[in-house]
Amino acid sequence: MSKKVLIVDDDPDVRMITASVVQDNGYTPVEAANGEEGLAKVKSEKPDLVVLDVMMPKQSGVRMFRNLKTNKKFQDIPILMLTGIARNAFLRSQKVLTEFGDKAVPEPEGYLEKPVDPEELGAAIQKFLA
Amino acid sequence: MTRLLLIDDEEINVRVLSMSLRSDGYEVFTATSGAEGLEIFDREKPDIVITDIKMPGMDGIEVLKRVKAHDPDTEVIIITGHGDIDNAIEALKYGASDFINKPIRDEVLAIALSRAEEKVAIHKKLKAHTTELKRTVDIATRELRRKSSFQIKLIKSANDGIVATDKDFTIVIFNPAAEEIFGYTKQEAVGKLNVRNLYNEDVLSVLDTKRQPPHVTKAPPSWETEIISKNGEAIPVRFSGTALYEKHAMVGSVAFFQDLREIKRLEAELIRTERLAAIGQTVAGMAHSVKNILHGFKGGSYLVNQALKTEDTDRLKQGWGLIQRNIDQTSELVMDLLSYSKEREPQPEPCEPNAVAEEVCRLMSETARENEVKLITEPDPEIGTVMIDPHTLHGSLMNLVSNAIDACLFDESTGKDWRVTVRTALGEDRNLIIEVEDNGAGMSEAVSKKIFTSFFSTKGHRGTGLGLLVTRKNVEAHGGAIEVTSREGEGTVFTIRLPFIEKTDSE
Repeated sequence: MSKKVLIVDDDPDVRMITASVVQDNGYTPVEAANGEEGLAKVKSEKPDLVVLDVMMPKQSGVRMFRNLKTNKKFQDIPILMLTGIARNAFLRSQKVLTEFGDKAVPEPEGYLEKPVDPEELGAAIQKFLA
Repeated sequence: MTRLLLIDDEEINVRVLSMSLRSDGYEVFTATSGAEGLEIFDREKPDIVITDIKMPGMDGIEVLKRVKAHDPDTEVIIITGHGDIDNAIEALKYGASDFINKPIRDEVLAIALSRAEEKVAIHKKLKAHTTELKRTVDIATRELRRKSSFQIKLIKSANDGIVATDKDFTIVIFNPAAEEIFGYTKQEAVGKLNVRNLYNEDVLSVLDTKRQPPHVTKAPPSWETEIISKNGEAIPVRFSGTALYEKHAMVGSVAFFQDLREIKRLEAELIRTERLAAIGQTVAGMAHSVKNILHGFKGGSYLVNQALKTEDTDRLKQGWGLIQRNIDQTSELVMDLLSYSKEREPQPEPCEPNAVAEEVCRLMSETARENEVKLITEPDPEIGTVMIDPHTLHGSLMNLVSNAIDACLFDESTGKDWRVTVRTALGEDRNLIIEVEDNGAGMSEAVSKKIFTSFFSTKGHRGTGLGLLVTRKNVEAHGGAIEVTSREGEGTVFTIRLPFIEKTDSE
């Protein structure tokens, strides 16, 4: 049974690209269209890696990241951010949430800013799962 | 105490009479000749002079003449000999107030004196009254002069051009600000120019009313208009004015013109500045959109390459579809950007808004059906043909209807019959009202506030974030407004108000 990669993005085209890359690298893709759906899939599918977008309807990537990293059961799953939002902006939003009384969270294990070459994406995924 | 001067050449008479008068409470001066009498008169200024008529040297008539010449208000009583009626009449002719006959009887003298005293009192009152009147008139005159010079200064230094005319509309007041606006000098205007040749019809219609309107207390109307200056330049002004009435008859007109050239220039500058700021935001937002599109292209070419290697037709189709979608998104983004940055003046032409609404619904019907949304039009048959820019209306409706269908598509509630309704109506003050209502996903207040800003999109990868921005810009360029009310989970209503554009006279 190959390792599972959960892809959370509201754009079906982006999910399709990532899913192809995941498959081409020999892993199994699972998809979710927003943070809420993503969290449910983490529970049901127990992925080995989460590839996460930031700007999504319902629950955003900012909140889903926080939910995973503050949950003992899931905090060890590596998260690879794949988004158009700059890394600094994402880290700042997490810092603001921490300052407003949330628990402190670590930085994401990986961060890729769109546009990303699929080869580069494949290499990043490999790094976590190989 | 009344002061008397008693003149008689017979000393004994003077002594007896003065004693009796003093005991009656008068202050009495005495003289035994006309010359001495006048000397005392000059010094003491008595209220009443009693003089014998027959005296050696200067006689009583002469004393009377001189006293009256000196102070006409002094009362002079002449003492005449018994039966000397001719002299008495002459004395009256010269202004004597009374005469009494010798021998002097106390009662007669008392009556003569009291009459003279009354006259003196009246004189004094009259004099005081006259002095007061003169003072009041002086003050009023000064005040009037002050006010009039103040008003002249006021008119001269007013920022507004002030033009007043007589009832035939010939200019009588033309202040420096009016010179500045109209380009005529005061000399060229006052008494020479008729405002019928200077003002446009709208302005004249306010001033040229023969009868006093019933609502005289109403403030004169004020609106923006244009005047043509001496050198033919159209100058934007805010006009207010009124015909002037006196006892219900029109006596003239006055008009106030605020020069709007500077304001208009600043407005244009502000819009340019805002547009520059918007370009800054636009560039940042566009970079984000371009990043996503590039990601799609990279992914697409990856899929196509992989498919070619493995000769996987399905994957080839997948990759090629992805590339095509991103080409579409690129062109959509570029088109939206173009229409956003393009300066387009609304071009009013006879247009049937109901027909435009039907056309937009026909164009969108396919998309609506695919997404199981019912598209309904509720036209107001009263509208007919009006002067608006059909492109503004068409573009705005296309944007709002396609947004409304998307709102239904994004709605995650189940078992709903999704509807998009397009309503047209006639608003007050010659406005067209368009409503686009959906019962789709709706928006939170926070989202409602952001939707008109550039590159804000709730549609994730599907929207450029420019559609509503372009719609708002076009509606506002048309002098209209766009509003939104929305409830999350219940739906959204967008309302556009477009004023009919009147053809201006200059065209």
